[in-house]
Amino acid sequence: MKHGFLDKYSDLSSPLHSLSATTKVIVFLVLIIVCVTTAPTAYFSFAGYLAFLMVCLAVSRVPVIHVLRRSLVVVPFLAMAALSIPFFSRAAEGRNAITAAHPGLIVFQGIALKSFVSVCSLILLSAITPFPHFLSALRKLGTPRLLISLMSFTYRYLFLMVEEFERMVRARDARCYGGGWLWQTKVVGRMVGTFFVRSYERAERVYHAMTSRGFDGRVPVEDAQPMRLKDHLFVLPSVGFLVGCRIFLAPGWLF
Amino acid sequence: MHIPPGYLSSEVAVGTYVVGVGVCTAAVWKANRDLSEKQIPLLGVMAAFVFAAQMLNFPIPGGTSGHFLGALMLAVLLGPLTACLVMAVVLAVQCLGFADGGLDALGANIFNMGVVAGAGCYYVYVFLKRFLPKTRAGFLASAAVAAWFSIVLSSAFCAVELWLSGKLPLGVTLPLMVGIHSVIGLGEAAVTVGVLTVLMEARPDLVRDRLSTRTAAMVAE
Repeated sequence: MKHGFLDKYSDLSSPLHSLSATTKVIVFLVLIIVCVTTAPTAYFSFAGYLAFLMVCLAVSRVPVIHVLRRSLVVVPFLAMAALSIPFFSRAAEGRNAITAAHPGLIVFQGIALKSFVSVCSLILLSAITPFPHFLSALRKLGTPRLLISLMSFTYRYLFLMVEEFERMVRARDARCYGGGWLWQTKVVGRMVGTFFVRSYERAERVYHAMTSRGFDGRVPVEDAQPMRLKDHLFVLPSVGFLVGCRIFLAPGWLF
Repeated sequence: MHIPPGYLSSEVAVGTYVVGVGVCTAAVWKANRDLSEKQIPLLGVMAAFVFAAQMLNFPIPGGTSGHFLGALMLAVLLGPLTACLVMAVVLAVQCLGFADGGLDALGANIFNMGVVAGAGCYYVYVFLKRFLPKTRAGFLASAAVAAWFSIVLSSAFCAVELWLSGKLPLGVTLPLMVGIHSVIGLGEAAVTVGVLTVLMEARPDLVRDRLSTRTAAMVAE
């Protein structure tokens, strides 16, 4: 089993890892919100967010390469944004006329900065918080119980299902998968169908096993670790710093 | 098609969040009322299934590849609102665990891939099924066409949201997104038909529960 591809490194021990999940969710949520609402040309604000991220990254001892590699998910959309730079007309965006930069370029650089900072903060958040703790924090912050139960099931069975699916892919490749595009699609369709049947039957077995152990429809979710003094000592300065960067270093509340 | 963070303007992000969360709230409410306790493990495993099946890429002529979405298949098998709920869970886990899709764009992603692709296109399927002959082929054809629409429509909505946010001009993204996804949609349709075919042979009870008795009798033949 290849456990931990979802919240890899969340079992390290560092000052950041030991904080309550609620704390981490609040701080990183604030970071993402202030980041996506910052004007694209407020370079000092973005420098502040990046500095905050780098300090957290250093403290958490999560490898930088892990964060960078995962952040590549933004590339396809970024390519589409880059393609559309020339299509912005200079006249349409009057407020950028003073800066002499092409409005398309400004939009692109805003997108690039925002998506990079937010993606890295999400990656870091998932690398310092074990997923079950994350769910208990979400529960504490008011997510409906049903959604939390579903997400904890998803997390529990994800590894199993991915392994099962990889096994099927291996079996298919061993039987000379190839040939025309149409033929491949047909094989893939049948494979996903078989996989569906297997998953469904697994769900039925799981349900029977759970009922025989007294399942009454409620999935127990561990209580969130309460916020202690060190959590407050982390939340207040961090939120203060981020909101400060947003207000004092960037023009305008909304861009 | 997962919109990354930083692409949507505040207005679009909030608007799609309101719609997405609204539909999910309705789904949670309905699920709390109607679903038996048996459904909770079932839906959780279904979400894990969709997650794993989305890791499968099928090749597209021209060098790129697309992956299975599964929203319409879920809607046909579990009903439109439940499909929305499962897609929302999948997207939330992908966003929080993998940073696939932005947290600010989670509402938009749920809207595109859950509400539009799952619940919306379910009605395309229902509409087609009413007019096509009530046979096995008619059932599969309506699911296939609706599956194609689920991909194309959600990519079109994605392009429109990016345009409304003032980030990408519609003239570039709409043809680009719809063009690529009308090919991916063919794969989605084929996989959906494959899943339903296998299910009709292996577990006809799962398909039959969701169909009217007359169609079900035809499908069972």
